[in-house]
Amino acid sequence: MPSIIFKDTKKNIEAIAKKAPVAYAVDADIKPGITEAYVTFDKKMFTYRLRISAVDEYKEESSAIPKKKTGLKSTLTVESVESLDPVPISQFRKGKKKLVEFKDFEEVELPKIKVVEKATYLDTLSDEVKEIIAFAHKKKIELSVSLAEELARYRGSMKEKQFEELLSRVGKDLESKRIDPFEAVGIIAAQSIGEPGTQMTMRTFHFAGVREMNVTLGLPRLIEIVDARRIPSTPSMTVYLKPEFENSEDIVMNVVKELENTTVIDVADIVTDITQMLLTIKPDQAKMSERLVNHSDLLDALAKMKGITVISDADSKDIAVKPQQESFKRLYQIQEQLKTLTIKGVPGIKRAIARVDQATKSWVLYTQGSNLKEVLEIDEIDANRTFTNDIIEIAQVLGIEAARNAIYEESLRTLSEQGLEVDQRHLMLVADMMTFGGSVRAVGRQGISGRKSSVLARAAFEITTKHLLRAGLLGEVDPLTGVAENIIVGQPITLGTGAVNLVYRAFSK
Amino acid sequence: MKKVGKFNVLQHDLVPEHHVVPKKDEDKVLSEIGIARDLLPKISRSDPAIKALEEIHGPLESGTIIKIIRKSPTVGYSVYYRAISSEVFK
Repeated sequence: MPSIIFKDTKKNIEAIAKKAPVAYAVDADIKPGITEAYVTFDKKMFTYRLRISAVDEYKEESSAIPKKKTGLKSTLTVESVESLDPVPISQFRKGKKKLVEFKDFEEVELPKIKVVEKATYLDTLSDEVKEIIAFAHKKKIELSVSLAEELARYRGSMKEKQFEELLSRVGKDLESKRIDPFEAVGIIAAQSIGEPGTQMTMRTFHFAGVREMNVTLGLPRLIEIVDARRIPSTPSMTVYLKPEFENSEDIVMNVVKELENTTVIDVADIVTDITQMLLTIKPDQAKMSERLVNHSDLLDALAKMKGITVISDADSKDIAVKPQQESFKRLYQIQEQLKTLTIKGVPGIKRAIARVDQATKSWVLYTQGSNLKEVLEIDEIDANRTFTNDIIEIAQVLGIEAARNAIYEESLRTLSEQGLEVDQRHLMLVADMMTFGGSVRAVGRQGISGRKSSVLARAAFEITTKHLLRAGLLGEVDPLTGVAENIIVGQPITLGTGAVNLVYRAFSK
Repeated sequence: MKKVGKFNVLQHDLVPEHHVVPKKDEDKVLSEIGIARDLLPKISRSDPAIKALEEIHGPLESGTIIKIIRKSPTVGYSVYYRAISSEVFK
């Protein structure tokens, strides 16, 4: 689909949006056949998409909305205006190449994917497994897939009658292993995670490193997961490459280069000369080659900065930078800006390390720092497998269900790395509780415990006076349905047999 | 706000299957699990998975039930339901 990009003002776009479909006169010759236009306000992020149905030559007397007062050349018939999640310029393609610089009215392509649902997992099961599940269902036994798969393996060596007997015994066993109604599963989960957790305190509290990278492990990490911290203490990503690139070292190294956020201060020293109002950037060759940056990358990055004059000598590696406005304040500001000026890379990714995974013999990248949203848009990486250890970020980029899976997997990994075996079901319960409200909620005062519906339960947990005072002011009613509040008032708790009311009918008919 | 990108959230390994429960089946689902609609676990209207589903099915009202089929290490797969809530988390 042919598209163009251009810069415009918010006022113009709002005017079009109000009147659409409408004609819009622009100051460039536009080829007919263009169906889409992407609009930017700042030359970096594209926030609007215009659907265009026709392109005509501009005529003086037309009633089109003008983009400018003079120099109008063509008229676009805009069908509709859509507001977009900001699209960075790097996502557009010209030919096969990435767009680097913005040029008004350039013809570009925006690679798009068709959003499709995942293949249904149930369809991937073998016919035999499906048949066994259906057969058991008829006998009022709800078999899980894993059990049905296990049974399918024995079925061949059995007579039909034996198999039915096996199935009915499995059914009985399943029934007896079920959790009883009103069992206090939360308490059991808390205990089952807490008890091995005490072992962890003794053994850890220091870091274990993967080559030059540190990742928080053990109890501090577990606390971090359960507290749903906004940013973990050591954010890190595991980046997989598309299968076709996984074994090529050259491409892997290029991706590393593309990922690592390198700033000027990482590869060069900045010397400030106050007498001449001059900043000198002295590149360090060793650091440059380590970060795979060359001289022209540095110059390109500097060219994007505003309010400076770059003076570079052909025979000297050093680059001099002069503020256009001569003041000490400005000089200082520029020095500070230079330090954090990104030469290349994804913001937030401090370091990326490529390693060969021993099991699959293919390259996997590990990063220090995390920026899931932008990393997933890189061409070479496998967006379906790449993940981060920042659970809040997963919730924002992939949704609440992905966050639920991430909580479960991260906590299971943290525990099993310590050699602790906790039943997966407890961790699932924690993950489900943390995500049932649609956002990742911490366990504790700010989260699950602090938002219980019962006043007495909240008051019994933490900050008693605040909750009681608030409840008094607002006239909250406590129906005494939970555990803590019933203990407070001295009633049987609503668990186990305490939760069941018995009615005795003395005389039958 | 529409998302434009090369990346499909629904295909990610961490994201389980999300299916929209048709309007006519909603009551059946609710009576099957024996729960009122407003007591179902929530999923935000602004959730990336919901936005992706909207690209396929068109706008989804809040209250729509989403059937989620998770891969579970203990039972193979498990079915979970969430109702779309109008709450938007930042």
